Amino acid sequence: MANEKVDVVIVGAGASGSVFASVLAKAGKKVVVLEAGPDWQLSELISSEMWGRRIRPAGAPFRLEGKNPFGYAGQAGWGVGGAALHYFANHPRFLETDYRMKSEHNRGLDWPIAYKDVAPYYDRVARDVGMAGDAKAEEKWRPAGDPYPMPPMKTFRQGEVLKKGFEAIGISMAPAPVAMNSTEFKGRPACIYDGWCHVGCPTGALANPTVTYLNEARKANAEVRALCTVTRVLTNQQGNRVTGVEYYDDKKQKQVQEASVVVLAAWSGQNPRIMLNSATDKHAKGLANGNDLVGKYMMAHSVAGVSAMFDQDMENHLGTIGAQYMSYDRYPKTSYKSGFGSTYIVAGFAQKTHDFANSRPDLIGAKLHEYMKQAARGFSRVTLFGEALPSLENRIELISDKDAHGMPLARLVHSFDDDAVALWRANLEEGQRAVKAAGAKEAWVGTVMPTTHLHGGTIMGTGASNSTVNSYGQTHELPNLWVAGPGIFPTEGASNPTYTILAVSLRGAEQLASSWGSVTN
Amino acid sequence: MATIERRAFMKGATLGALAFTVGGSTVMLTPGEARARNIPFRLLKEAEAEIIEAIGDTLVQGARAAGVAHFIDHQISVPAEEALLQARIFNVRPPFVNFYRAAVSAIDSGSRRAFGYKFTEATPDQQSEFAHNMRQNKVDGWQGPPAPFVYTLLRTDAVDVVYGTMEGYELLGIPYQAHIVPEKRW
Repeated sequence: MANEKVDVVIVGAGASGSVFASVLAKAGKKVVVLEAGPDWQLSELISSEMWGRRIRPAGAPFRLEGKNPFGYAGQAGWGVGGAALHYFANHPRFLETDYRMKSEHNRGLDWPIAYKDVAPYYDRVARDVGMAGDAKAEEKWRPAGDPYPMPPMKTFRQGEVLKKGFEAIGISMAPAPVAMNSTEFKGRPACIYDGWCHVGCPTGALANPTVTYLNEARKANAEVRALCTVTRVLTNQQGNRVTGVEYYDDKKQKQVQEASVVVLAAWSGQNPRIMLNSATDKHAKGLANGNDLVGKYMMAHSVAGVSAMFDQDMENHLGTIGAQYMSYDRYPKTSYKSGFGSTYIVAGFAQKTHDFANSRPDLIGAKLHEYMKQAARGFSRVTLFGEALPSLENRIELISDKDAHGMPLARLVHSFDDDAVALWRANLEEGQRAVKAAGAKEAWVGTVMPTTHLHGGTIMGTGASNSTVNSYGQTHELPNLWVAGPGIFPTEGASNPTYTILAVSLRGAEQLASSWGSVTN
Repeated sequence: MATIERRAFMKGATLGALAFTVGGSTVMLTPGEARARNIPFRLLKEAEAEIIEAIGDTLVQGARAAGVAHFIDHQISVPAEEALLQARIFNVRPPFVNFYRAAVSAIDSGSRRAFGYKFTEATPDQQSEFAHNMRQNKVDGWQGPPAPFVYTLLRTDAVDVVYGTMEGYELLGIPYQAHIVPEKRW
């Protein structure tokens, strides 16, 4: 079934797709957003660990391979808001060094743009979505910018204790910049610090896309079609333009949505899967893949999580799932003797009973219950995110197995290299030093190296010789096919990615709107 | 102030219910109530449910009485996209019933090899020993999904019903602090 042609069809209603939808709808374009998952309402975001699993992926699974398989299902989204419906709303920006790793260290890749190109968009995003933090306190690590529109969030005992621990080992901390309301903002209420952010904030205090850019897009008449799974991007006979997408609707019926421009914003793993599945005789290896780079350079952050038990009551149930304090002190890429890459440190996030149980997976029965009672008072945890370098070996590939729509599934191969492993180990050591300095009677770490924040697969660069898209997300091969999200990042820094996703998407969407004539002709 | 605002979001509904059919009518019961009333399982066989209850109670005290088998049975009988199971987060490929059937079978046959009788007939100490061996992948002749994976997933299911509920938070003395109370606990 064919639908009336629109100006732009956006695949995915998550963070990046919502920005494109908002900008283009406000620019007067007829916008359709196709979202594979449900159209969640805030009133459906129930405060429960189990109910929170509903907003995690339920579509076709990825086959997870490699030495460090990516923790896909806990990370990606399902429904409007995407992964940003359940994200922790930590909004650190990437720093200047992230944009020029190759130039500075002869490692990894450079971005085709610099920090100064993105900086104005960071400031604008902060005003658009609402951010709390202390920009002045961050200026020891980054160039000055605008102040955040809200003061920092409230802090609680856990955060204060951990802050002292880090400072005791020479690591300075600052209030964590978060996309949450410390005060009422644009009609959305202030946060009430109940710590259920990760299962979806139903009050609107946390800036998930449904209350920010997607809400604005809808007000500007963008149409969001939920439960619509895109399987292919379609091209014209000459193979030099895309013409729309093929998708399966909420009744499992195959549909075609023609559009002047297609924006793929379906997550770093899913965008390459769609592009590879869109092969034609003119694009035998998939769309925009003449250089074989689609699905390559997948990157994930390592998570050095350090658990700790204190004698004192840490009041660990108070706060948000976002951090109370953060530090860029170990962000320089050669901060440690071993390992290479940036580290972003966060401390002071609310804990739930599942966090206690997961922190000691070896305990069962009576011993587990005894531990749970202790943890309810004295458990805490700090996290140090570590960067990994882009590698061609970390990749998305189609496999012969198919999903319910007959679309090939994909394998996601991911392994950390020796530098990333060494950095993770150094971070585990650093974290243990900090919690012990904070007064923990016991500190311990896990043996498995966790992954988070998937980047890459459709990276940006200076041309088709080294990348899939330009700095705005426009593919080098097909001018009216654009890609959005962390998939276009050529390096991943160590900062939580969503702030940079929003900033880079805003930059890209405005470029698309302003160059509409040349893109569509 | 925060308490007042929080209460504004709470609906005050009866907590913890799943839809069960009793005598041709649909009634809302917690899994623990469903177990106490001996509500029939939808997909699990009685023997499978007994093994889930036994391993669940071994992993987390109170999981049997909290209705871990009814919880799992209910969740594997609904469409995968509606399920609340950790299996979803661990990337288990639906239908989830296949995983649980394979897991239960592996536990029971492993127990028979280790102890000479069914897992449900093993002593509590033997059941704990078996669970620890699952975690360490030391069950001789294990045949099924990887034993440590089964251990982790079933342990999480048991944590869900015992510590993941409002009653579980109360048990540990932690304020639950819901924005929106789960009308249906599971």
